[in-house]
Amino acid sequence: MTKKQFISKLNASLKRLPYEERQDIIQDIEEYFVIGSEEGKSEEQVATSLGSPEQIAKELVAAYRVEKVEETTSTGNIIRAVWAVIGLGFFNLVIVLGPFVALAGVIIAGWLMGISFVASPIFVLLNVAIHPQIFEIFDLFFSIGLAGIGLFIAIGMFFATRAIKNGFVRYLKYTIGIVKGGLKHA
Amino acid sequence: MNVQFKKGVLELCVLVLLDKQDRYGYELVQKISEQIDVSEGSAYPLLRRLTKEGYFTTYLKESTEGPPRKYYKLADSGRTYLHELLQEWKEFSNGVNQLIKEGVKDD
Repeated sequence: MTKKQFISKLNASLKRLPYEERQDIIQDIEEYFVIGSEEGKSEEQVATSLGSPEQIAKELVAAYRVEKVEETTSTGNIIRAVWAVIGLGFFNLVIVLGPFVALAGVIIAGWLMGISFVASPIFVLLNVAIHPQIFEIFDLFFSIGLAGIGLFIAIGMFFATRAIKNGFVRYLKYTIGIVKGGLKHA
Repeated sequence: MNVQFKKGVLELCVLVLLDKQDRYGYELVQKISEQIDVSEGSAYPLLRRLTKEGYFTTYLKESTEGPPRKYYKLADSGRTYLHELLQEWKEFSNGVNQLIKEGVKDD
């Protein structure tokens, strides 16, 4: 592979990164080729020793995605980061997707429980509207009690969601660093 | 040697190489690949990541032979991190060496 081919492959695989970021990376890799040729290496040799441009790009994109999540932890950003990290190798499928699905399940279940508790008086009133003959005052009080508990659950979930998100981002960063981040398959 | 194992060590290698002097990317990668069998291309994402984490700063310096080169300089936080990793490495390698000494038959 010539320098030009290497750079254009790298550039194509980095198209999801912002322009400045991509330029910066390409500049670094070009510098690498220039110094290599000053040391008497051919473009082919430098390209071979660098390995696959697609693999380098994957790692850079994954690192970028995780960095984005740290800036703004939106659900979309987290999913993109998870996806990019999974792309690094099969092993990551297990150690990233597994915890991700489990944690997402806990968060969704917690919120659903909180919300349905809070909404329970409405269900009781709906029930009364549909079947007025089976109204029991106990149901109403019980549901108001549930709504109170639901509010506490929702507040708890708010903090739990934030803590879980932060923890998971740390885990993603750790994964990038330890699992694959930088070495060829041995 | 397996990938995860090398990966953690590579981070330590880069930090160690920058402790005494600033170096440019090509030099760093060559130094490492002289000693350890790693793909040169995979060291680059590591350099970039550690720079973004604030462990290194970079600057451009003129070269006598060609265009300016990007030099990596170990920041204070990087030096702290290096010493943490070094400590872990020493404990780990001492432990492994001890087990090897006890476990491997000499004859």
